[in-house]
Amino acid sequence: MNKILLIVRKDMRRRMRNPVSVVCMLLIPLGLTLVVGLVFGGRGEVTISHIKVLLVDNDKGVASNFLKQGMKQGKLAELIDIVEVDSVAGRSLMDAAKASALIEIPKGFTSRLLDRKPVEIGLVKNPQEAYLPLIVEEITGTMAVMLDGTTRVFEKPIADARKMLTAGRWPTGGEMSGLLASARPRIALIKGYLADSLVSLKSQTASAPGEKPKEKFNIFAFVMPGSILIGLLFISEITMRDIVRERETGTLARIAAGPIGGDQVVAGKIVSSFAITFVSCMLLIVIGIVGFKIAWGSPLELLAHLIGSMLMCVGIMAFLYGFIRSERAADALLPVFIIVMCIFGGAMFPYEVMGPAMQKAAHFSPAFWVIDGLKRISIDKAGWNGIARHLAVVYGVGAITCVAGAARLKGKLAARE
Amino acid sequence: MIEVRQLAKSFGEVQALAGVDFSVGEGEIFGLLGPNGAGKTTTISIIAGLLNADSGTVRVGGLDNRKDGRRVREMLGVVPQDIALYEELSGRENLHFWGGLYGLAGSRLREEADRVLELVGLSDRADDPVRQYSGGMKRRLNLSAGLIHRPKVILLDEPTLGIDPQARLSILDIIKDGVTGGMTVIYTTHYLEEAEKLCNRIAIIDHGKILAQGTLAELVKLAGEGNVVTVSGAFSRDEVSPLLKGVAVEYLENGSMRMTVPGQAEMSGALSRLFSAGISIEEISIQEPSLEGVFIKLTGKELRD
Repeated sequence: MNKILLIVRKDMRRRMRNPVSVVCMLLIPLGLTLVVGLVFGGRGEVTISHIKVLLVDNDKGVASNFLKQGMKQGKLAELIDIVEVDSVAGRSLMDAAKASALIEIPKGFTSRLLDRKPVEIGLVKNPQEAYLPLIVEEITGTMAVMLDGTTRVFEKPIADARKMLTAGRWPTGGEMSGLLASARPRIALIKGYLADSLVSLKSQTASAPGEKPKEKFNIFAFVMPGSILIGLLFISEITMRDIVRERETGTLARIAAGPIGGDQVVAGKIVSSFAITFVSCMLLIVIGIVGFKIAWGSPLELLAHLIGSMLMCVGIMAFLYGFIRSERAADALLPVFIIVMCIFGGAMFPYEVMGPAMQKAAHFSPAFWVIDGLKRISIDKAGWNGIARHLAVVYGVGAITCVAGAARLKGKLAARE
Repeated sequence: MIEVRQLAKSFGEVQALAGVDFSVGEGEIFGLLGPNGAGKTTTISIIAGLLNADSGTVRVGGLDNRKDGRRVREMLGVVPQDIALYEELSGRENLHFWGGLYGLAGSRLREEADRVLELVGLSDRADDPVRQYSGGMKRRLNLSAGLIHRPKVILLDEPTLGIDPQARLSILDIIKDGVTGGMTVIYTTHYLEEAEKLCNRIAIIDHGKILAQGTLAELVKLAGEGNVVTVSGAFSRDEVSPLLKGVAVEYLENGSMRMTVPGQAEMSGALSRLFSAGISIEEISIQEPSLEGVFIKLTGKELRD
């Protein structure tokens, strides 16, 4: 045991003296997480930035004002930034793609509406934006329908009021009483709609029965498990590579010439690789928490799953290095192997976007069980039952590959024929 | 201390060893002298337990190195031909690792590391990373890593390979100083002068076979090598020939002659006969028998780098 620890201590010290390769292998998953995460929406709290809308009011009437004010009320005010411009400036700004949309209210809009004549609101959309102009189009359409409905309901009182306003004198008390009298039944008609609604809306994100409500979705939590796996595989690869490197420099033979068993030498190398991979992995987890605000979920479940995953990565590399004779061969074969395994397992293209055939194939890649397990722990909060199969796979594959790899490496070390 | 019997080893079609047989007594420095590819490193690797022989046995301190591998390896110190050190670590850290491998720990480990660092003259650079060392310094540290645990037997496989003559002399001095207290040494080299300077007994190996072994004097005798005496002066072949009957004489074009005489007595006798006969002699040069001559005689070729 002391000799195994001696080898582990020596290898850890060597890594600390020359950490460049491990740091590079850590930067790869972090870079991947950052880039992919930012491409798909940053911290995941998907927000739509203020939509800049240009408005040309050629009418300056009651109806156009109703439209403008409507867009500046409540939630719409948080979403839409209305900038009033003249027609020429509006077109010019749209040509320069400085706004998401331009709404143009025509001259005589109010009078045509009150006269119940067809009238059009102009809308120019920015072709460089995909969704924001569509939102403006939808809101403007809804406002137009509301305006139309209001004028239909109050058609008679509005007509009476127009007569009074265009008579050139102030209405008498009798005329005002008549106007209110004609408006009252219409208000009574829509009173039910104007009063507080009996039905209110309470929105929440859907959860499966028995599930706790989900937290805000963080895209980094979705991306980072795949990146962590890539990091673990590459770090365990470069640490297990020491076997080949030490064979080439002669230090392995010198160790083997000492009073130490081949099993101790191999165990020392595997434990070293595991220890360095473990430290690197913990660093990635902490960076995930601090840098990407990832809530990893239950620490115990996470630790259990990560230990199994690391065992699996180290075991796979130990097994492969049992067949690899030189660094050149390792350079040629292992990165390809890791990338293919990661692609199949969903580390690069998420499992969720794979086709059905690829999704079936993914289950044969050990990488899938690492990534999916991490997502279940951190995103789904699936609990021990939810990750039981994942743990069985990673520990199973880890144990088999570690034992087979160790046997193979010991055989090579003792290959004195 | 070491008994090697009928060692044979093949790598595919190539027979590296074909019945190597020698013994080394306790405290002896035994040289294995041969050109590259002669089988020196294969022999050392088999003794160290790094290779299995196809046939034959190796016993160290009375123990079979295959049956009691670990106990035999505890007795051995190995200095490989390659510089087998960790470049990222300091000299001292390297020694602590190699000493720890042989069970040294704590203050004893520190003391032994200091001792061998002093021995190889690296005390002042002990805490520098090995990658900053020169080739000669690395060789010296490589040597010290094999000595740190005070092994009973040390196997030195061409420890001066690839370094300049001055550094080589320094290594030889270190070996002479470091090998104390009855330590048994097997030293492989293809440098004749190293074997001559260092070893009590020498085995000449080529093509996986021991051609001859013994002390330098025994080898010379075995090979029939003698002193070579070159005499120049104003004499003719007819004058001296009757005086040198039974002596191998070669008459050179410049008028001088070269005699090969097996021992001191024969040399003195031949020269006194020449002087007594009044032969005019201007210059005499005597070349003592060398390992090189023995090697050439036994192998039919010169040692090459």
